[in-house]
Amino acid sequence: MTECLIETGKKVLTKGNYAIANAAILAGCECYFGYPITPQSEIGEFMSGKMQELKRAYVSAESELAAINMVIGACSTGAKAMTSSSSCAVALMQEALSYAASDELPIVLVSVMRGGPGLGNIYPSQGDYNQATIGGGDGDYKIIVLAPSTVQECVDLTYKAFYLAHKYKNPTIMLADGLLGQMMEPIEYKEYPYPEIDNSDWALTGAKNRPAKVIRSYAPSADTQCEFLNRLHAKYKLIEENETEWEEINTEDADIILVSFGSPARNAKSAMKECRKLGIKVGLLRPITLFPFPSKRIAELADTAKMFISVEINMGQMIRDVKLAVNGKVPVKLLNKPVGNPPSVEEIVSRIKKESEVL
Amino acid sequence: MENNFMIAGFGGQGVLLAGEVLANAFMLDNKNVTWYPSYGAEMRGGTVNCEIVMNDIEDVSSVNKAETDFIVALNQASFDRFLSKVKKGGWMIANSTLVKQLKPRADINYIFAPVTALADKLGNVKMANILSLGVLAKISKLVSVSTLEKALNTVIPPHRKNLLPLNIKALNLGYEYDLSLVNA
Repeated sequence: MTECLIETGKKVLTKGNYAIANAAILAGCECYFGYPITPQSEIGEFMSGKMQELKRAYVSAESELAAINMVIGACSTGAKAMTSSSSCAVALMQEALSYAASDELPIVLVSVMRGGPGLGNIYPSQGDYNQATIGGGDGDYKIIVLAPSTVQECVDLTYKAFYLAHKYKNPTIMLADGLLGQMMEPIEYKEYPYPEIDNSDWALTGAKNRPAKVIRSYAPSADTQCEFLNRLHAKYKLIEENETEWEEINTEDADIILVSFGSPARNAKSAMKECRKLGIKVGLLRPITLFPFPSKRIAELADTAKMFISVEINMGQMIRDVKLAVNGKVPVKLLNKPVGNPPSVEEIVSRIKKESEVL
Repeated sequence: MENNFMIAGFGGQGVLLAGEVLANAFMLDNKNVTWYPSYGAEMRGGTVNCEIVMNDIEDVSSVNKAETDFIVALNQASFDRFLSKVKKGGWMIANSTLVKQLKPRADINYIFAPVTALADKLGNVKMANILSLGVLAKISKLVSVSTLEKALNTVIPPHRKNLLPLNIKALNLGYEYDLSLVNA
């Protein structure tokens, strides 16, 4: 049973959802709270057995709202805690995300996107790019967002999600899609590669023999709220400077640069290579962090490239961030599938050919 | 080189499992491999399929292929639905117990094998999926029976290990089946 293996240093064929769950356990996740929803239910299913086996906390919550608030509670004690969900259910968690950002709590949320809006369907989608990067909670807050493109990255970025969440005391979302959650690939679990973060200055561990600490989302005066927001945004700036991550191939001489994250980036990569064989100068930029978004790099590339094409499974959401970075220097076009599997390599190649003719 | 495969049939025929065995076998051969299922509101008796992309050069394979090198169709609905997806010069491997032996396209190769009937004769009709993997191994020459046996051992969970010998028998029966019997 591949889903039950937690062996490091050995290749195993594993589903994205199980890879995320296994990696969370290896990252030291002490508490999982969740409510099932397709296409990520394997995460909760796996955790329900494994966490008990390891004598860690697992609660099958009565709702998504309860689950994310349980994560807030656990994280306020400094524990590594997470939940996982999908689209319409992540929508229910938006208020809590805003509170967690305001409380500066290291909650980890795995969001495996399905079709929306509303109940939508269970096909793969990237319709929650905006939900993750902009969010629906109140106030000026930011969530760190990581976007895996392979099953191995489901492991590596889950590790990273726990690390960044605790390092910056900030909610962090692992944003996968239904295709990645259900996909199997050979992967290797390595040991959790990051240092443990000291949280003794803020974690609520019982005030015996010390003054009480308070975690509160409330600023009674305008001055304190200004001070708080400035400090919060100085932190976001630091995250942008230190943690922006992307993959970049063949961009130096590229006329057309494809920008794509998650599973469509796989097809964009193959299409880029096909086009290179045909002599069309195409490059690929794959954002790995969606916040912080690699805007600075895209802005630099806009000086040399003649066009950007954003490849997404939605009606065009990331394209907005690409356009902001390009800032009108060159055209930014959209190649999308509204929902379902990503645009095929053939579709991407034929679109590039068409665009390159009129460049 | 990259090759891609699809296994399709009724829900309950073991389509996803057969694909998982094949994907494991490629992994054991140190190839890069990606397996993904059709994923919707599926039910027992409905159609289901999975695709396997095997690659020995690229580290990351593309998905949602427009064309497929090898398609295994375990029922008529899958044969009809995916016939147009077979790559020119590719292979349609059909379960002739449930699929009519017609060849609507002239630009692809057909193999008909009565895997359901053979599995029934073996004593367990559920073995049709693994039998078809034997046929696929013989036709594609991209994976060996011994690697598939090892993959079966990996995929079959501990509490079902009693079924391993029968699965291995089915695999070999598929591989050794005289295809000239139905493919004159």
